[in-house]
Amino acid sequence: MANKIEDLVEEQVVRWHGVEPPNAAGHDYAKGMAGLIASFEKLRGELQFEDEPSSFEAALQETKERAP
Amino acid sequence: MNAVDAPAAPLTHLTLVEAADGVSSGAFSAVELTDAAFKAFKASDRALNSVIALEEAEALEIAAALDKERNDGRLRGPLHGVPLAHKDMYYRAGKITTCGSEVRRDFRPTYTSTAIARLEAAGSVTLGTLNMAEFAQNPTGHNAHFGHCRNPWHTDYCPGGSSSGSGAAVAARFIYGALGSDTGGSIRMPASMCGVTGIKPTQTRVSRYGAMPLSFMADNVGPLARTARDCARLLKAIAGHDPADPTSAKEPVPDYEAALDGDIRGMRIGIPTNFFFDGADTDVVRAVDAAAEVLSSRGANVVRIAIPHMDAVSTYGAIISRVEGSTIHAQWMRTRPQDYSIALGARFYAGLSIPAAYYVEALSRRGPILRALGREVFDKADVFVTPTIRIKTPTLAATDIDAGAPGAIDAFNMLAANTRAINYMGLPAVSVPCGFDGDGLPIGFQVVGRPFAEGRILKIADAYQRDTDWHRRRPTLRGA
Repeated sequence: MANKIEDLVEEQVVRWHGVEPPNAAGHDYAKGMAGLIASFEKLRGELQFEDEPSSFEAALQETKERAP
Repeated sequence: MNAVDAPAAPLTHLTLVEAADGVSSGAFSAVELTDAAFKAFKASDRALNSVIALEEAEALEIAAALDKERNDGRLRGPLHGVPLAHKDMYYRAGKITTCGSEVRRDFRPTYTSTAIARLEAAGSVTLGTLNMAEFAQNPTGHNAHFGHCRNPWHTDYCPGGSSSGSGAAVAARFIYGALGSDTGGSIRMPASMCGVTGIKPTQTRVSRYGAMPLSFMADNVGPLARTARDCARLLKAIAGHDPADPTSAKEPVPDYEAALDGDIRGMRIGIPTNFFFDGADTDVVRAVDAAAEVLSSRGANVVRIAIPHMDAVSTYGAIISRVEGSTIHAQWMRTRPQDYSIALGARFYAGLSIPAAYYVEALSRRGPILRALGREVFDKADVFVTPTIRIKTPTLAATDIDAGAPGAIDAFNMLAANTRAINYMGLPAVSVPCGFDGDGLPIGFQVVGRPFAEGRILKIADAYQRDTDWHRRRPTLRGA
């Protein structure tokens, strides 16, 4: 497995999607994935196992503005 | 006396509501308004590049028909005879819809978007299509295929994106209003950078039928115009359930405009103590603080409030549209990679590597986080107010990823930080002009409400605009 995140991104995207690295900016965006992983690491443990489905649309209704 | 009130003010300087009411009363005709709009485009758009295609002969013909109907005593609706033009991603049967892209340079949809159909049913005249970021995917207004759109306040600067032409054309007084779209701030950022008003409605409030998809979870249709009252009239015309878009809400649509009475006494305005001001430019902080004081002077109660889970909102909000956009573009990325700009090809490429588990986590927490917001924020404040954009409007050169501008990718993220978070939460937000930075570029603040609180946030925006004149100021083209 690749050691650098940008190499890992390239391996995955080529293998899984058949999309080649397009340009140097793509390399920069791939490097940025390290920051995304770090952000998700900080959030670990916050997502709880839910026994019932939790719908975003239902939350919109529950929290909506009520007529005066 | 401001320019709009001046007796000799050109027709293009009217607000949308003034223009519509003038046609209705017979003060002037739809043809006069339409002709004035085309003259304005021809006189000045070369400096802004806000247009992709105009349809002058057809629009004037429609305007003439509307004038005949009005003279016969019939008005189609509250936009009768009002010239509009729209971001070039709203399908119209048989008309080219480029989506700002090379891939769709010749794309002719076979059906018409509900939003445009409703605006035209209300009497508007569609003048043509406006510039936008390629596939609605940047916050700056760069476009490698149709040329960059430019800010009317200074053409070296970004007009904001992705609804760049909509913001620039409304600010330049070419048209009275325009549809934009907002997946991470694409209505509010150009509204803020160009000094106009723009509203992103609640997720599902407006039908997305016939609107180019970018992110099924975060796309929103909404208007940009000069005033909150203009936006209220436009939103009323397009909001409401649409059987052609089963995801659209069945909530009743109130008369937003009728509720604009300036009375915000007792409303609780939250000012976030976390996230939204992080790293904000001092000009921006000063302008938003001053805006809060204006609201306070009208009798609103300003309270400081912490917004929960913002690390999660920021992280999750950053990936949903990237994953969805990358996925729906994957086939073209395989077969036509040369037809994407450097910046967008790069963004989609990396987006394809984001794990499905991250995407599902982001979606799974959306409802619980919104519920937490309901408990911890909206039980204490009716709305909250933030800078629309934390930093000053940058130049096009400083944010040109295609040209290799250093730091441009980070600038993209910083520009959209405050708006993208609101898309993740699905909330309505209106961006309102509230000053200018040291470079002479507009600053905006956004008023964010509960789901389906479009009426309340527009009422607050309108109240603010009764006591300020930032929205009335007109650019004189500089740097052209």
